[in-house]
Formats: sequence, structure tokens, C-alpha cells
Amino acid sequence: MVYSKTVPWLLVMPTLIFLAVFIGYPLYSAFALAFSGDTSAFETFKELFHSAMFWRALKYTLLLAVVIIPIQLTLAIALALLVNSKFKGYTFLLYIISIPLALSDVTAGLMSYTIFAPMGYLNKVLLNFGWIEHPIYFFGFMYHTREFWVIVLTEIWRATPLVFVIILAGLQSINKEYLEAADIFGFTRAQKLFKIILPLLKPSIMSALLMRTLFAFQIFGVVWMLAGRDIPVLAGETYYQYVQLNNPKMASAYGVIIAVITLVISIVYNFTLRAKHLEGGR
Amino acid sequence: MKKLLVILLAVLTVMSFAKVYFASTQMVPAEERAFLLSELSKFTKESGIKVELLSMSYSDILARVEAEQKTGKVKVGLIGHLQGGLYLMASKGFLQDLSDVSFPGRTFLLEKYAYVNGKKIFIPWLQATYVMVVNKEAFKYLPKGLTKEDVINGTEKWTYDALYEWAKNLYNKTGRPLLGFPMGPGGLWHRFLHGYIYPSFTGAQAIKFDSVRAVEMWEYMKKLMVYVHPSSSTWDKMDEPLMRGEVWIAWDHTARIKQAIVNMPEKFVVVPVPRGPMGRGYIIVLVGLAVPNNAPNKEEIIKLIDYLTSPEVQVDILKNVGFFPVVKEASGAIPEGALKVLAKGVINQSATKDGIVAFIPNLGPKGGEFTGTYREAFRRIVMEGEDPTKVVKELGEKIRKMYKETGSSLPEPDAHLY
Repeated sequence: MVYSKTVPWLLVMPTLIFLAVFIGYPLYSAFALAFSGDTSAFETFKELFHSAMFWRALKYTLLLAVVIIPIQLTLAIALALLVNSKFKGYTFLLYIISIPLALSDVTAGLMSYTIFAPMGYLNKVLLNFGWIEHPIYFFGFMYHTREFWVIVLTEIWRATPLVFVIILAGLQSINKEYLEAADIFGFTRAQKLFKIILPLLKPSIMSALLMRTLFAFQIFGVVWMLAGRDIPVLAGETYYQYVQLNNPKMASAYGVIIAVITLVISIVYNFTLRAKHLEGGR
Repeated sequence: MKKLLVILLAVLTVMSFAKVYFASTQMVPAEERAFLLSELSKFTKESGIKVELLSMSYSDILARVEAEQKTGKVKVGLIGHLQGGLYLMASKGFLQDLSDVSFPGRTFLLEKYAYVNGKKIFIPWLQATYVMVVNKEAFKYLPKGLTKEDVINGTEKWTYDALYEWAKNLYNKTGRPLLGFPMGPGGLWHRFLHGYIYPSFTGAQAIKFDSVRAVEMWEYMKKLMVYVHPSSSTWDKMDEPLMRGEVWIAWDHTARIKQAIVNMPEKFVVVPVPRGPMGRGYIIVLVGLAVPNNAPNKEEIIKLIDYLTSPEVQVDILKNVGFFPVVKEASGAIPEGALKVLAKGVINQSATKDGIVAFIPNLGPKGGEFTGTYREAFRRIVMEGEDPTKVVKELGEKIRKMYKETGSSLPEPDAHLY
């Protein structure tokens, strides 16, 4: 009896120890560091909230998430529907879409830089054709808006495949009988999409949205490579505070803010996007 | 007899495993660290002395040495750190007096800066500075009254106003901004602000932060920025923008422009920085080798210092990392080519009669906040257009508070003025 009670714990123990040592302890240390101050526990946060750079970083992080995620989700669903239609040559399209999955965010940023730099591919083509006389500048402290849209473009290209893969898997798990029944009842394509496919795809959409939103709040590599601190983001400021300014307390405070935001979003998503099962319902 | 032989063997075995823990804040980036490790392994092969390299940040090294000194368990035997940081450690009584350490036939440059209150706290190891690099094409667009020789030799005509006119000329004639600075988050732009342009305009790095001359300097920076390449705010190093031809005039640390000179020595010339109303402010980065109190294996440590300051290793360091020798005997061993181009520019800068030598201040854990303050001033005044008088007054208070809280001594040239 005792044996059957302890065995499950013994089996999960290695995972629990791993999590405790490599996730739990660093998490606890980061929180402890963020809340340690010479005069009070909230000293670091007071300084953080008074810093103009924090509010700029929060603004740009939210702005990037709000702009990128809807575009990515729409694009991923459209591409998944296209690939799922299994037209001739769809596997080739699948491979092309999946290429960015193999790239890190830093690589994607560097590739973008080589395209949009003053001496990059885009400017060279435009100059060679005589369409412009001087290079168009996309990066630098005078070109925030252009930097922002290049970052959006790069992130859409880099991270949409991740959402696409999850949506495609969800699409392929939809029972074809529903669609056959819809055909019999004379549903149009739009009706099939909005009445059958999208509701059944809700669990996949929720997983993809949740995962993509959590990653969006940790956006760093692409922004850092393309815009440095011209477009400050929360994760970038965390890095800057720790590595450049040797301020681990402030860096931990930024980390805590990112953790709290992502926790709140997970809870909101869970409540608002929870899908009800069509059969046997809950 | 047998017993004696066994004891001798045991002693030799222990000696052959003698280990020196070498904590260094320099040569931390991956390529530089790999180079230093290879030099140290050559030393181990020659001497049989093992060296463990501990790469550290500026705040970590102070914390580590302090902890070891307070507990009495000293493991780190040799410290390689900036002169300002070593002054701070010496002020806390952590370092040994190395006055009795000498190496026959070796003349150390800048040795006078190694003494604090009559005590020699370090042996000079490396020096570096920040220079301007000019693509020779840019000389075709010099403004009136400025010649190529003025720029190369750092005459009184090579001023910040002349730099402004030159950058403006380049922009108007080519249609492109061709002056660049490493303003990226990992760039050393803050060194330009506190160690170059501030002393050139105000005569000091920190104590005149909010002076009238400082406000004039910031007005100058605002007008100069119109002709600075906009991507400067994303660049951490200037070698690649120079090699790509994106900029024709750049300022950066010698180690960070070295690749451009090495790859294209015929294309570039290294020149002194311009002068301002008060003189030609420039930083000498002096790195020293210091020994903490009660460090174990002192004899082995001295052998390591001897190796690291030998002319051959000094020239190897110049070739691989871009730090310059501190040993006179090494300058004769610099090979012709790119390194001589680099060395000539550095020598010309230090030979200028109006030079204001600045040392990097060391405020221990507040060091990052100090450099961040200069960047904040730049961002608020130049990028965001805030009133310079208001910003320098606010941030000047912050800098004075940092010095009061840390008790750090003022760096040159401020110490001289104060």
C-alpha cells in the first residue's frame, strides 16, 4: 500500500528536482533581488516606475504585441487553410513556410539588417534601377517609425510559422464528417469556415495565441539587432540593466514585471477563450 | 636516502601543480578570452605553473576581492583590472606593495600612475585609447583652413568646429551622412561623452557636468548630430561600418576599429581626436596587474607578471586584441603594416601638446549608473530635445551624489582641478 503511494512520487521526483533547481530557485532569487532595497522592499520598483525608459519600453512591448499578433494569427490561419486544401505542390509551400522555424531571432534580425541597411539589398536594387538617388534609411534614432515596421515585418516572417504549425495540426484533426455534412446541407465556404472550422479550431487558436502572446512579451533579439534601444522593450531593458549598467536589482524588477504581465494574460486568455466541447458538453 | 627522494618527489609534484588564479576584467569577449587562454597555456607549458583564468565584470571583481580579504581565504593571486578599479581596491587596503618587483631590461611606460601614497599598487600591463579613423576618401572633402596634415598630426586647427564643417561638407557633397559613432547599447559612446568631449569643452569629466561650458558643448552636439549617420544609434563597434563604407570618419576604441585597419590598411588612417576650447580631451585606458594581500604562490605570480609584460607577449596582445604595449622594448617589435598604422595614430594623439589626459573613473557598483547618466543626458538633450540647462542641472546632482555615496576619488583631469 505504502509502495503504491510512494512510487508515483519517486517517478516524478527527478522532474520536480530539475524544476526546483533550474526554474524554482532562479525565480525565487529574481523575486528576492527585485524586492531587496537599502531603505524598503519596493525601493527598486519606485525607481523603475519613475523611469521614463520603463514606460517607453512597456509602450513599445505592448504596441509590438498588439500589431504583430493579430496579423500573425490571420496569416497563419490563411496559410494553414491553403496548405490543408492539399493543392498540387502544397508540400513545397509547407517547407518554404517552415524555413524560419530553424532560425534564431538574432539570425532573423541580422538577415533583416542586410536587406534594409543603407548599403543593403533593398537600397542596392532601388539605386541600381535609378528609382532613388540616395539610400533610404530604415534604422537610427531619427527613424523610429521605420525601425518599428521593419521589426514588425521581421517578427511576422520569423514567428508566423510557429503559429501556422499549431493551427495546421488543429485543422488536420477536425473530423471530415462535419464538413461532408455541411456540404450536404448546402453550406457555402464562408459558412463552413465560420460555423464549423473556426469553432472547432478554437483550442488550437487558444494554444497558439497564448504561446505567441507570452513570447511577444519577451521579444528581444530582433529588436536589439535592428534598433538597439531606439525601440526599447522590457526584455531588452532587463538585459541592458544587468549587462551594461551592472544593476541586477533593476534587471530583476523588469523580469518580475514581465512575469506578472504574462501571468495576467494567461489567466485572461484562459477565461475568455476556453472552448466548450461540442459533444457531451461541459 | 629513499625517504629524502620520496619527499623531494612529493614537493616537486606539488610545485608542478602550483596554480595561480588570475581574475581579469579585460579580454572578456569570447575571441579575446580565447586568445588570453592560449597565451596562458603557453606560459604553463614553459613554466609548469597552471593558471586559472577568471573573467569578471567590474563590480564582481571588487566584490570577490573584498570577500576574500575579509574572510582571509585568498584564492585570487593576480588581478588584471583598470587602473581606476585598482585605485579603489588600494584605498580599501586590499593590495600588496610591489615596489620591490622589477624585471631587468624592461622599461615600463605610465609607471607613475601605478603609485598611490608612495605604494606601487600594480605593474602596468596594457594600455588603450580611443581614436578617430578616417577613410582617405574623406580628405577630398576637407573644409577650408583644414589640411590632411592638421588632422593627422593633431594641430591646433583640428578642432571640433572643424569636424562639424568637415561632416557638413561630406553630407552636402555626397548626399550621405558619413560621420559615425558607436552609440549602440553595447557601444562605448559614453566614453566619448565623459572622457573626450566633456574635458575638451569644460576641462573636466564630472565636476563641471553642469557648467556653462557644458551647455555650450551640448548645443554643439545637437548641431553635429545632423551630420552623423542615423544608424549610429544601433552600432556597437565601428569596424564594420567603416569597412562597408557606410561612414568615412569614425571614433571608437582601438580594439574595436582594429579589424578595419588590419583588413584594409591602405584605405584608412588613424588620427588624434579633435580639440575643444579647453584642449584635446582623451582617455588613456591603463590596465594593471595587481597582487592582493596574502595571495598564495607569490613567486609563481611574479613569473606570470614577467611573462605577461614580456615584449613578445605585449606585441602578441596588440596583434590579437588591439591593446597597446606598456613596455618600451615592445614598440620596436611592432611589425610594419596595419599595426604600425594604428600605433602611429595613438602615438600622434599622445604627442599632442594640448592633450588633456582622462582616466576612466571607478565608482565600483555605481560605475554603470555613472556612464548611464551621460547617455541619459545625450538622449534627453540631443535626441528628445530637452533644455540642456535643465537636464545637466538635474543629472549633475546625480553624479555628485554618486561620488559622495561611494567615496571614490575623482579621476584625472578632475582630480588635478579639484
